[in-house]
Amino acid sequence: MIAALWKEFLAGTFWQPLSFVLLALGVLLPALAVVFSRNIVHAALWLLPCLVSVAGLFVLLGAEALAGIQILIYCGGIVVLILFAVMLTYGVGDPDIRAFNRQLWWGLLGAAAFAVVAGFALTAQLWPGPPGPVPPDVTGRLADALLKQYVLAFEVSSVILLVAMVGALVVARAEPKE
Amino acid sequence: MPAGSEYLLIPGLPLLAFLLVAAFGLRPQDERAAPVPIIAALCGSLYLSLRALAHVAAAGPQEFSFPWLYVGTVQLDIGVLVDNLSALMMAVVSLVSLLVQIYSIGYMKGEIGYGRYFAYMSLFSGSMLALVISDNIVQTYIFWELVGICSYLLIGFWYRRPSAAAAAKKAFVVTRFGDLGFLTAVLLLSSFGLGIFGFTDLAHAAEQGALSKGLITAVCLLLFCGAMGKSAQFPLHIWLPDAMEGPTPVSALIHAATMVAAGVYLVARTYFLFALAPAALLVVAIIGCLTLFLAATMAVAENDIKRVMAYSTISQLGYMMMALGVGGYTAGVFHLTTHAFFKALLFLTAGSVIHALHTNDMWRMGGLGKRMPITSITCLVGALALAGLPPLAGFWSKDEILSAAWYSQLPGHWVFFALALATVFLTAFYMFRLWFLTFTGGERSEEARHAHESPWVMAAPLVILAALAAVAGGMKVSVPGSGEGFGELIRFGDEHEAVSRLAMALSIGAALAGIALAWAAYRANLVSPAAFNARLPRLYRLLKNAWYLNRAWELFAIRVVIAGSVLFAWFDRHVVDGMVNGVAWLCGAGSQQLRRLQTGQVQLYALVIALGIIAALIAVLGGAAHGLTFIGGGR
Amino acid sequence: MNWVTAVPLQAYLTLSAALFAIGLLGVLVRRNAIAVLLGVELMLNAANINFVAFWRYGSSANMEGQVFAVIVMTLAAAEAAIALAIILNVYRRFKTVNVDQINLMKG
Repeated sequence: MIAALWKEFLAGTFWQPLSFVLLALGVLLPALAVVFSRNIVHAALWLLPCLVSVAGLFVLLGAEALAGIQILIYCGGIVVLILFAVMLTYGVGDPDIRAFNRQLWWGLLGAAAFAVVAGFALTAQLWPGPPGPVPPDVTGRLADALLKQYVLAFEVSSVILLVAMVGALVVARAEPKE
Repeated sequence: MPAGSEYLLIPGLPLLAFLLVAAFGLRPQDERAAPVPIIAALCGSLYLSLRALAHVAAAGPQEFSFPWLYVGTVQLDIGVLVDNLSALMMAVVSLVSLLVQIYSIGYMKGEIGYGRYFAYMSLFSGSMLALVISDNIVQTYIFWELVGICSYLLIGFWYRRPSAAAAAKKAFVVTRFGDLGFLTAVLLLSSFGLGIFGFTDLAHAAEQGALSKGLITAVCLLLFCGAMGKSAQFPLHIWLPDAMEGPTPVSALIHAATMVAAGVYLVARTYFLFALAPAALLVVAIIGCLTLFLAATMAVAENDIKRVMAYSTISQLGYMMMALGVGGYTAGVFHLTTHAFFKALLFLTAGSVIHALHTNDMWRMGGLGKRMPITSITCLVGALALAGLPPLAGFWSKDEILSAAWYSQLPGHWVFFALALATVFLTAFYMFRLWFLTFTGGERSEEARHAHESPWVMAAPLVILAALAAVAGGMKVSVPGSGEGFGELIRFGDEHEAVSRLAMALSIGAALAGIALAWAAYRANLVSPAAFNARLPRLYRLLKNAWYLNRAWELFAIRVVIAGSVLFAWFDRHVVDGMVNGVAWLCGAGSQQLRRLQTGQVQLYALVIALGIIAALIAVLGGAAHGLTFIGGGR
Repeated sequence: MNWVTAVPLQAYLTLSAALFAIGLLGVLVRRNAIAVLLGVELMLNAANINFVAFWRYGSSANMEGQVFAVIVMTLAAAEAAIALAIILNVYRRFKTVNVDQINLMKG
């Protein structure tokens, strides 16, 4: 049996499922940690491996550029931003240290129900079979699509970023001192 | 203008007079002129009625109507029906009204509210004539109610007197009982009777069998309820004696000649329905018979001159109803006509006496024959007419009624005949008791000694009415204005009963016997009433208290009606209101619970949204019957 | 032994459903507002996985899947920025970031 596995390993036929399983675990377990950590700093930090695993999944699916973008934006930008906010709002002397609100059980029920229903909905279909080969030059094609076919979406999203930046500045600025 | 529309003036003129007097005639300085509009109006109405009689005799019934109201699917019209019956009735009403109004000028002189009196009287005359001329039952009901209101207003004319106010209220409430039946009949016709209200249309429909027998019987019985109230039939007669609180001309016109006849008129008008419901006719006959007998017994024990006449009116109305019930359509209407004349006459003579003596109590009268000769003789004429002695009018009409009872098809008709005959005796007795006590013998009080005759304005109508009471029997042969005999003019169907000679003889005999007894007891002192009363004290008390019927009604009102109303009040408070309050409580409680969703907590809202989406997903996917393929393929 | 060389699409879809559910749980049950934001980020990532998986297993010649994922990431960044700005503001006003204590309603 070990010999058969080693043979398969050398043939390279199960590195894909193996990677998928590992990456999936890397996504789900840290995600659970994010949700169930009592310490908000730990929760924010657990987001990092989760997002990195997602990037890994993108690589596995053949979208390397996207993986890069994911790391840059999510891990490098958003998580850092969140950590900043955590530090600015950290309530050390907060007497009430409950992490979960009163609807914990209802929430669990709802999330579980959703998972079941959505899972059923998604998998009950007859999806297409194994994927074809990755087309050549995915990154180039992505750039092409963004700048030619979907340039409007691209430009609008940049405007949104501008607006968000200004808005965040306005909302978060300190009260003007008299 | 459609043919017959000038007959709208017949009720229209008195109503116009009412408006004039109500607008301009109520102040004391205008009082001299107050009677003028109504007298003029009634002259016009009388003339037009007689012309109508002639016209109808020549050209047949005149009818026209125009639509008035649409209520859902029901159409109400305003219309005029001038045929033999209504033309005759209008002539009678106009004539008697006219004479009574002339009399009132003298009687009501110096009274406060002189103008108000004539206003009410005008309204009454107009309403009564409009009731008679109506061509459909709803319109009849409207004027029926209007006439009832006038009666209320006039009975309570001297409203400061508590007894008068109470009497007016009693009259209105008791007739209301009956009117409820009338209204129910109208509603039944509206729902189940194909919505036909016009009399001629109803007659056609009934003839063709479009209305079910049960419906017709029910409608007839309910209409008779209304007639019982207005025409003071047993047991709804209790209001009429009390109604004597009003001025005597009011009693003469409304409670003797015209309004109380409205019930008889209604039955006659709808006789085509009654003819198809023998059960209803039997009820009419029985009630009429009971009424005529009981009322006569009550009249015997009365000491108030007007109350004797009131009971007499009730009794005579019973005669009319019984006549209609046993099939004597012509007899009933004929008696209505003659009774209008001699009863109005009798009331006016009583009024004459009261006006002179200022008392109603017969035991304070006496010997007025020499001091008030015109009154005395005219009263005698009226009394003879009422008793039914030939050749006066009352004889002919009463005789027809007795014949109708004798020849009737109804089961037990001889009972009706026997009671009617016995009552002839009683009628003669109590009437002549009245006459002897009032006009003969010695004066029993100071006022009697100083009495004097009434002024000509009061005496002239007495004489005219006495003449009418004497010769109205001639209408059997020829009715003025139309030239035909009464029997041809007013009849239902083609039957023409023979007159029974036996009945004729018996009624004359009974009347003479009654007069003789009255003479013996009250003039010649051969029989002592006091001894009689002492020997039969219970009978005397029974009659004196009018068979305790007032007390019986009172008990009914208190025990039954109020008990019932307590129940209804409880139901209304707890069930009906309870339902409404319950709805309100439910809303409140419901919203209290719903309030718990509005916590202001965003995460609760998010939870609700999530659950909702899941529910929607399940609903959409529920139709799909797929097996669960979780991660298709193995690893 | 016969290993299937390709991972089936359903696997990715199930994974994304599970990740979404976990994110949803975080949104519904955590008291700290920032923890709620973390849950939102997880949900967005789950959606992205879905997009890319469909791109790969569908016609991978069309780039819509990846374009959509890029736009989603952009918007996620913008949204995180605004959300955190708001949280800062709320913290200044209420002195706490616990969602169930940020409540002006009476009764």
